[in-house]
Amino acid sequence: MGIFREKDGITRRQFFKGAGMIAVTAVLAGVFAKFGIDVFAASDDYISERIAGLYTLDEKMAIRRSHKNPEILQLYKDFLSPGEVKPLSEKAHHLLHTKYGQDIPGLITELQKHQHEAA
Amino acid sequence: MSEIKGKVLKHDSQTRIMHWIHLISFLLLGLTGIAFYWDIGIIYKIFGGPANASLVHRWTAVVFTAGPAIYILLNFERFSKFIDTISSFTKDDFNWLKTMGGYVPFLKGDIPPQDKYNAGQKMLGWLVILGCILFILTGFPMWIWRHEVPAVFLNICYTIHFWDAIIMILAVAGHFFLAAIHPKSRVEFSSMMIDGYVDAEFSAHHNEKWFNKLQQSQ
Repeated sequence: MGIFREKDGITRRQFFKGAGMIAVTAVLAGVFAKFGIDVFAASDDYISERIAGLYTLDEKMAIRRSHKNPEILQLYKDFLSPGEVKPLSEKAHHLLHTKYGQDIPGLITELQKHQHEAA
Repeated sequence: MSEIKGKVLKHDSQTRIMHWIHLISFLLLGLTGIAFYWDIGIIYKIFGGPANASLVHRWTAVVFTAGPAIYILLNFERFSKFIDTISSFTKDDFNWLKTMGGYVPFLKGDIPPQDKYNAGQKMLGWLVILGCILFILTGFPMWIWRHEVPAVFLNICYTIHFWDAIIMILAVAGHFFLAAIHPKSRVEFSSMMIDGYVDAEFSAHHNEKWFNKLQQSQ
């Protein structure tokens, strides 16, 4: 029984078609990759500029630390811890630490209870 | 014609291995892709949840890309011959399309002699090449650049990827029907899926131009 096979080797036309197909695909992939790399670099540049902008804005601020803010210090002295500056005082804890999600109904109840007590 | 005895080696082992790798990876990609688009829980469960299905989709895409790329690099001659065949459209190919090779019942007429691949297979060849390039070019940015590229670009990638998938799934379904089910053409099934051989008599009838060249070169 005879076995028929293709002969090895390719013609010049076949070579150019095969190489051309690879070249076109490579160029297409290259253009696309270049686009991606450029966008990636632009994204990095944007992030760097944003960071620099935030730091510059911060450096221009007169008050840059919350624990040195005179208004906050006064608030502690007058209300949150009368007569002294005492962070995490009981009143500060209740008023400045918020709750969220499933704890909210409990917080509302607690606030209403305080309201009644104050009245 | 009935006097022609023997076998023709239509697809060698590396081509068949590449076809198997591409087939299995295409099935996995299609299945997981369908699950993502229509949020089908039962498919997610096969892969152990949506996160795992996503991982399977992405890494199978690497195999889907690397398989043919490695094949082309190792088999440049075969690839060049394939491209030459599918890019050569002659009058016989156009006449084959007029009768759809006799596969459509109501289209009658003489079927002209064909190359190693008939006009329909040539068109499928181009569809697969272009479809795969589009899959790769739109798929990897959705994975690797998704946090960097503009949302509108990602949206275009998703849309092209989806419609490419729909067209490719339909094309592969048609290819499967003709290659594995249709009684006229399924005799060629084993040439790609098993041993690479097809009866010389069948080849002389279905791929007359190519077979004549083979005969001359023996």
